[in-house]
Amino acid sequence: MKILATYNIKGGVGKTAAAVNLAHRAAAEGRRVLVWDLDPQGAATFYFRVKPKVKGGGEALVSGRRDLDRAVKGTDFDNLDLVPADFSYRNLDLLLDDAKKPLGRLGKLLAPLRDDYDIVVLDCPPSISLASEAVFRASDALLVPLIPTTLSARTFDQLDVFVNDSPEVVKDLEVMGFFSMVDGRKRLHRDMVDELRARRPDLLRTEIPAATDVERMGVHRAPVAAYAPASRSARAYGDLWTEISGRL
Amino acid sequence: MSELQRFVVVAEGEPASLVAALAHRAGLVPVADVAVRRVFLDTADGRLHAAGGQLEWRVPVGPRAAASVVWTSTVTGETLGVVDLTGATGATGVAGVAGPVRTPADLPSGPVVDRLAELVEMRTLLPQGEVMSRLVTMALVDGEGKTTVRVVFDHSTLLGPAVLPAVVEVHPVRGYARQAERLGDLLRAQVTLQPSSEPLVDVVRQAAGAPPFLSSKLRLSLDRAGTAEQAWRDVFAELTATVHANVAGTRDDTDSEFLHDLRVAVRRIRSVLQEGRGVLPDEARERWRVAFKWLGDITTPTRDADVHLLDYPSLVASLPPERAADLAPLHGLLVDHQRQAHDELVAHLDSPRAAEALTEWGAWLAADWADAGPDAGRSAPVVVAARVQKAWRRVVRDGRRIDDAVPAEALHDLRKDAKRLRYLLECFGSVLDPDDVAVVVKALKGLQDCLGEFQDTEVQAGALGSFGDELVARGDVPAATLLAMGGVVEHLDERGRRARARFAERFAAFDHPDIRRRVRRLVTVPEGTDE
Repeated sequence: MKILATYNIKGGVGKTAAAVNLAHRAAAEGRRVLVWDLDPQGAATFYFRVKPKVKGGGEALVSGRRDLDRAVKGTDFDNLDLVPADFSYRNLDLLLDDAKKPLGRLGKLLAPLRDDYDIVVLDCPPSISLASEAVFRASDALLVPLIPTTLSARTFDQLDVFVNDSPEVVKDLEVMGFFSMVDGRKRLHRDMVDELRARRPDLLRTEIPAATDVERMGVHRAPVAAYAPASRSARAYGDLWTEISGRL
Repeated sequence: MSELQRFVVVAEGEPASLVAALAHRAGLVPVADVAVRRVFLDTADGRLHAAGGQLEWRVPVGPRAAASVVWTSTVTGETLGVVDLTGATGATGVAGVAGPVRTPADLPSGPVVDRLAELVEMRTLLPQGEVMSRLVTMALVDGEGKTTVRVVFDHSTLLGPAVLPAVVEVHPVRGYARQAERLGDLLRAQVTLQPSSEPLVDVVRQAAGAPPFLSSKLRLSLDRAGTAEQAWRDVFAELTATVHANVAGTRDDTDSEFLHDLRVAVRRIRSVLQEGRGVLPDEARERWRVAFKWLGDITTPTRDADVHLLDYPSLVASLPPERAADLAPLHGLLVDHQRQAHDELVAHLDSPRAAEALTEWGAWLAADWADAGPDAGRSAPVVVAARVQKAWRRVVRDGRRIDDAVPAEALHDLRKDAKRLRYLLECFGSVLDPDDVAVVVKALKGLQDCLGEFQDTEVQAGALGSFGDELVARGDVPAATLLAMGGVVEHLDERGRRARARFAERFAAFDHPDIRRRVRRLVTVPEGTDE
């Protein structure tokens, strides 16, 4: 079982869209996939039409009173399940802080599901906190969407510094950055993509375009490939998944 | 996850309209309505069935319809995987579009096929029955537009005279068990539906006259109050049935497991004959030992060739990836060997000698044994306990003599002793305490695995030497192939050394006081049993 987390310190960069579409693609390939929506806003949960509620809330899960397995909901897609968001996740930092060995907590909760799933995608809220650190510890790879702007590049550098300079938090984690919401008509985007690629050759090659197909996920409440399988965005997420799975 | 609920439509008239009325009452929304041709597939020993699965090669009715392989859970109704065969070919170059696939390697590679291959291993997927089906999928949807229960109406007709019942299945969605239960209650209350626990694939297998799934595992439940003769007869009957069940698959080379299971049954018969001293008539015992030795011997070259081919991927994996292709000429040689050996085996199996042996053996089993041995009328547990004790003592005695200095033959002899004890326990264990038997067999298995690995690596390394000679004699073998084979031999030697190093630990686990206590309990048959 590989644990991937879609993560960025910044919000609004396409994390949830990536989590949902990559998970859908992996499941369509035949992998058994679980998405855990850790963001109290519950956007991934909304896209899968599941009610954003976990019995007993985040406290029951983090404390181990309720097995994660019992919070799992089947989505409308084969081999793709979801642990829905719960508004109590806004206090995830506090809940983890109360737990023993907070950094290893998420990994411990996921461990019993090792035989049930090939891929777990953690959709994380935008922040850097104890919860993020627990995500870093649990994950095999961080999938970091980057809008080609100066600020986005700066936050990616911050993340990189943290991941590389915090051995007490991060054990074995691959950071996979990719460009998201790229608008090829914007000069700034084109320049930033070129500049960042020159500086960071390890960035994934696939770029997710800024497209209305992705924005329409909220209308269809489904992954892009479910309603626009031939669209540029659906193809891009497919290519991105192929690239990511090749690195796993 | 909760289990699926299955109902058979028992009403007269058109099942589809009845189901439509039910769907309306239950508030189900239509999802799909397709007509498909389906061929159910499984291995001869029902590996997918045993794992709670149903595999079908499916083609929708209609022009240019794309074939697919659909794997579902018969327990939860979940789709375990779908492999689209549109324009796809597998490792074997077979598309599977024109007809059912034979092995997972016929399918395009991917996670689903990997999981399937893990279950199927070396077996072939055989058709279990073919149907034409109308599949109507409906869903119960909540206020968010989310599917909470799936309902599948499956109206299948078998190609042939048999009539299959129409089936309604309620497939729970994980996390929405309550909704599925409620819908199940509604359907259960209908007089036109009758709950059923039989998956469609079982109904189809039965109607299509598919043979029962084979099993190499002995499921003997011998009569503890019976005589030794009765126990020996029952064991022979079971093993003989296994031999017969595997002859056709061996002959046709359907997959290598038919021959494997045939050989195991023959070896067990030989072992049971050997243990039958004092139970069986002496003359007959000698005669059948010779006959079954011959039956075993004729299968050896083919089995050896099968094993080399089955092991080939692991030999390749022991080389650096860039040198893997160098072994290709060896693969060609192994395939030639297997074909030749199998042709010879078929000739033996078709010979009057084989036919007579099996016919006369059957007649002997059915006849009275007027000249049976003195132990024949004794209590089965008493006779078996004595045999187990003797075989166990032998393994312990010989095992304790083995240290780092003894030659390899000592380990090979111990392997044979251990096998003898294992067959005794597996064939006759049901007249003793099953819990103790299970524990002793587990410890014995650990020892056998280690001894088997030691033997296999040595035999394989030796065989590679002769294959190398043969390739050189052919005159066109690249030097890279011989070098690669040398690399494989080194790897095998290392594996053999590691197996030998593990021996002391494995033997200690077998020769442990707890196991000795279990064996003592096993072979202590209460007084008065042997009346």
